[in-house]
Amino acid sequence: MRSVVLAQIRTHAARLVASCLAVVLAVAFVVATLVLNQTTRDTVLTAAGAQYLGADVVISTEDGSSLADDVETLRTVEGVRAIAPEWEVAVQAVVPGRTGSQYLDVSAVAADPTLRWQQLADGALPDRPGEVAVSERVGAAVGDELTAVSVAADGTESTTTVTVTGVVDLGGDPGAGLYGRAYVVPEQAQAWGAVDPTEVRVAGWPRADEQLLAAAVRDALDGRLTVRTGTEQAEERAASMLGNSFALTAILLVFGTVAVVVAGLVIANTFAVLLAQRTRELALLRCVGATGRQVRRSVLGEAALTGLAASALGVGAGIGLAAAVSALAEGVESPVPLSGLAVPLLAVVAGLAVGTLTTLLAAFAPARAATRVAPLAALRPTGPAPLRSRAGLLRLLLGLLLLLPGAGLLALGVLMSDVFVALPGGVASFLGVVLLAQRAVPPVVRAAGGLVTRIGGVPARLAAGNATRNPRRTAATATALLIGVTLTTAMVVGTASTRATATAGLAAAYPADVVVESLSGELPGTLLGRLQAVEGVAQGAALPTALLTGPDGQEWAAYGVDVSTAVPVLRSTADTPLPDAGEVLLPEWMADSWAVTDGSPLELTGPGGGLSLRAQVIAEGPLLLTAAELTALVPDATVGQLWLRLDDAGDPAAVVDAVTATVGTAVTDAQVTGVVSLREQMNEVLDMLLLVVTGLLGVAVVIALIGVGNTLALSVVERRQENGLLRALGLTRRQLRGLLAWEAVLVSGVAAVLGVVLGGIYGLTGTASALGMTGGVVVTVPWLQVAVIVAVATVAGLLASVLPARRAARTSPVAAIAS
Amino acid sequence: MSAPVPVMTVPGEPPSAAAAVRATGLTKTYGSGETAVHALAGVDVAFARGAFTAIMGPSGSGKSTLMHCLAGLDAATGGQVWLGDTELTRLRDDELTRLRRERIGFVFQSFNLLPVLDARENIVLPLQLAGRRPDSAWFDAVIARLGLRERLRHRPSELSGGQQQRVAVARALLPRPDVVFADEPTGNLDSRAGAEVLDLLRSSVRETGQTVVMVTHDPIAAAYADRVVLLADGRLAGEIEHPTADSVVSALRGLGA
Repeated sequence: MRSVVLAQIRTHAARLVASCLAVVLAVAFVVATLVLNQTTRDTVLTAAGAQYLGADVVISTEDGSSLADDVETLRTVEGVRAIAPEWEVAVQAVVPGRTGSQYLDVSAVAADPTLRWQQLADGALPDRPGEVAVSERVGAAVGDELTAVSVAADGTESTTTVTVTGVVDLGGDPGAGLYGRAYVVPEQAQAWGAVDPTEVRVAGWPRADEQLLAAAVRDALDGRLTVRTGTEQAEERAASMLGNSFALTAILLVFGTVAVVVAGLVIANTFAVLLAQRTRELALLRCVGATGRQVRRSVLGEAALTGLAASALGVGAGIGLAAAVSALAEGVESPVPLSGLAVPLLAVVAGLAVGTLTTLLAAFAPARAATRVAPLAALRPTGPAPLRSRAGLLRLLLGLLLLLPGAGLLALGVLMSDVFVALPGGVASFLGVVLLAQRAVPPVVRAAGGLVTRIGGVPARLAAGNATRNPRRTAATATALLIGVTLTTAMVVGTASTRATATAGLAAAYPADVVVESLSGELPGTLLGRLQAVEGVAQGAALPTALLTGPDGQEWAAYGVDVSTAVPVLRSTADTPLPDAGEVLLPEWMADSWAVTDGSPLELTGPGGGLSLRAQVIAEGPLLLTAAELTALVPDATVGQLWLRLDDAGDPAAVVDAVTATVGTAVTDAQVTGVVSLREQMNEVLDMLLLVVTGLLGVAVVIALIGVGNTLALSVVERRQENGLLRALGLTRRQLRGLLAWEAVLVSGVAAVLGVVLGGIYGLTGTASALGMTGGVVVTVPWLQVAVIVAVATVAGLLASVLPARRAARTSPVAAIAS
Repeated sequence: MSAPVPVMTVPGEPPSAAAAVRATGLTKTYGSGETAVHALAGVDVAFARGAFTAIMGPSGSGKSTLMHCLAGLDAATGGQVWLGDTELTRLRDDELTRLRRERIGFVFQSFNLLPVLDARENIVLPLQLAGRRPDSAWFDAVIARLGLRERLRHRPSELSGGQQQRVAVARALLPRPDVVFADEPTGNLDSRAGAEVLDLLRSSVRETGQTVVMVTHDPIAAAYADRVVLLADGRLAGEIEHPTADSVVSALRGLGA
């Protein structure tokens, strides 16, 4: 039978291509995920653990107490060749060519070469006090002179000038933090105020056993210290950094599973159709003496070989993909540390196993069906019998058992605002939907077919009939697409709602895009006009400030706001109460100390006289009254704060920079804070997330569309005679192509619409349950994006019909009828 | 088709008014060089309007190929085919397709009906493809004659072989085509159902003047025709007017069948 299997694969290679492609894509996805995961771990281990990998033993304290006293003890331990206490301090440094000073984390360079872990991008490590090596982020070059302001342990401030001797490459260490790093000799670190090392790295003699040395050190020191080998310490630090990236891997593997399931559906479908077409061939094999078992083995053998070959390709493609991603990530600032490529054996084995097993599993049901072919089927003159759809009562029951409680749990999760209740409900109900799709999809396709018949004429009428004549196949094809579309829509809708909720929250908490204030409390009156002229600034409001005398006789800073100019500037006044005329807002603590309650009168006086205002107590904030009343009390009140609103279009970061520059020329001690950058950051993160996730789900959609094309291609082969008859009876080539296009549009359109509806439900319930805790969920459906998803899925389905349709139209009617 | 036509009759001669279909110097060659097979090796034939003609011949004589070329289903290698005053051999695929659905009816040996359509939809399919509405009086007449009134809502899988073939005949007759081509219409039927179908074809010729051309290898079926055209080795090998089963059998024996 082996020769039969191989001959089958050779003959039907073209038809297997589509299912192979599905396997290749799914396996590549899984393998790339695993490889990237390993690469991330290795990158983090070498970057975050760099300083420990060269050390044999690392001693640290959990409580931050000093190790200074233990250094001398360590030197006497047998086998210790060199030690490097970690002297740490921070300085404020001015870098030439950079405005302002920056905060630098300073640590000491080990004297011993094996304990020096820093990778130099340029120059050399410092040898003596007065020299410094800096991380790339600092932005200084070799030869630059830095002016460092340090505060010694006793509080005295001193200024030192140091020369940059080298630039250190931190290799994407995720623990590097936001600040620049500086490396100096221990003497310099101590001069800058480093006193208590909390970590000591120890080097033993070459080829010494780390474990033995660690044990010796542990014996010599008291028990409160943590003693680890260098490797252990590196792994420890890397692990603490990797929490997030493990979550990422878990998410990626979930998408990988989706891709595999979709691929499985496509493969099962392909095999079912391939075997249905070969009914007579298989029956002939039975006639010439093959047992049912042999037939089944030959079919499964074919599946195993196909799956293995496609999986091997997929593994290669996955590693290639991971290499490309890693190379890309090294070039840009990636949120996930990636450098080089680490291919774990697990990824290769898992890829091959997943691909081959999925194919085998998917082929199992069709193979069983093939076994039941009666030998006499070979002798019957009729064409291949269409696949009969089985009752699938079990499937129905299981589907309902998953769907109903799942939906209930999902609803409960929304009501309780608990995503951990909603999530299992969502997963269970979606599995139920997938199981029930086989029953639900054909009636919907039939109904949709009734609609298109009105606009598409005879070809659409025929397509509607064709699309529903094999409900099982249509359902499987549509389900594959449905899964991808549902998940994509859920993501898109969920992200939109999350964004809307977070934006609303941000707007309430920080109503002004940009706030300008001065430390001295005074801004030039002309500044507002100049800022409003800055490109990208939409509107602004100036808040006068002055000192008012309260009922306690003390002077307090108060602000005045002109509601008519301020309100248009603010994004939200939900959490920002503004005073009406005759009203003053004051914080709770001030009201308590003055014994003022909400609504009671409050007497405030200034150089221009006194006013009795109605008090409104707020949680916190300065004294705030209307600008008119403030200037009445203090006629020469100056501008204390400016609120700006930026144009929604344009690059807010650039506008904030321009605003900062303009302010800087006018006031030296001004402070520009912009929540706009926060909003921007959040949008960037959400956009990136959405892009990545839709990209990943796109793989599932592409696999599903291959399935649509595949099903059509096989239908074309199967309906060769029928299409020949239609051509003989007067169907033009164009109409024949139209017939297949309608069929594709019906199946993919129904899947897309159902998927979008389901995805919308999951996206909205997901957001509601996940963000409900924080209160004030803003639910939005991005209609445009949802419409794009439907259009893309449907048009892609249409495109999937092009090749099969061309093939069908090329066949001459005579050849088709004769066969 | 672009090669000059071998002249057997006067070139460009308008077809005789009495002929519904006419072929001159028709050749059909498969393959080329030494392996070339001449399925039709120069056939001149005309089929009279309002007549029932059978094409007969041994297996491989080219009778099906001749029918396919006459019906515009297959392109001839050389020669001309006229349907009325339309020269089929000059038409492009789209024009041929339109001509088939408007002016030609077909009854095939098997697989005549689309399984997704019911009997009525199958019958009106060519008209619908052409964007025409069936003439309801004529539709009723055809349905009544073929005894299909009770079966119009049935799918092909719910019909017997004879009923399916009657539906195919109704479909062929409904557009009132210039000619109905039947390719072994009784090949898959038992003798009673076959006789019914042949009766229907003959009565459509007698009663409504329909032109019918039928390919068959069954002498009894051929005996229903007004005339039998005999084909052997891709050439015309004789004709029999007013055939009987016996005369057809002896004529075929003469061809070595």
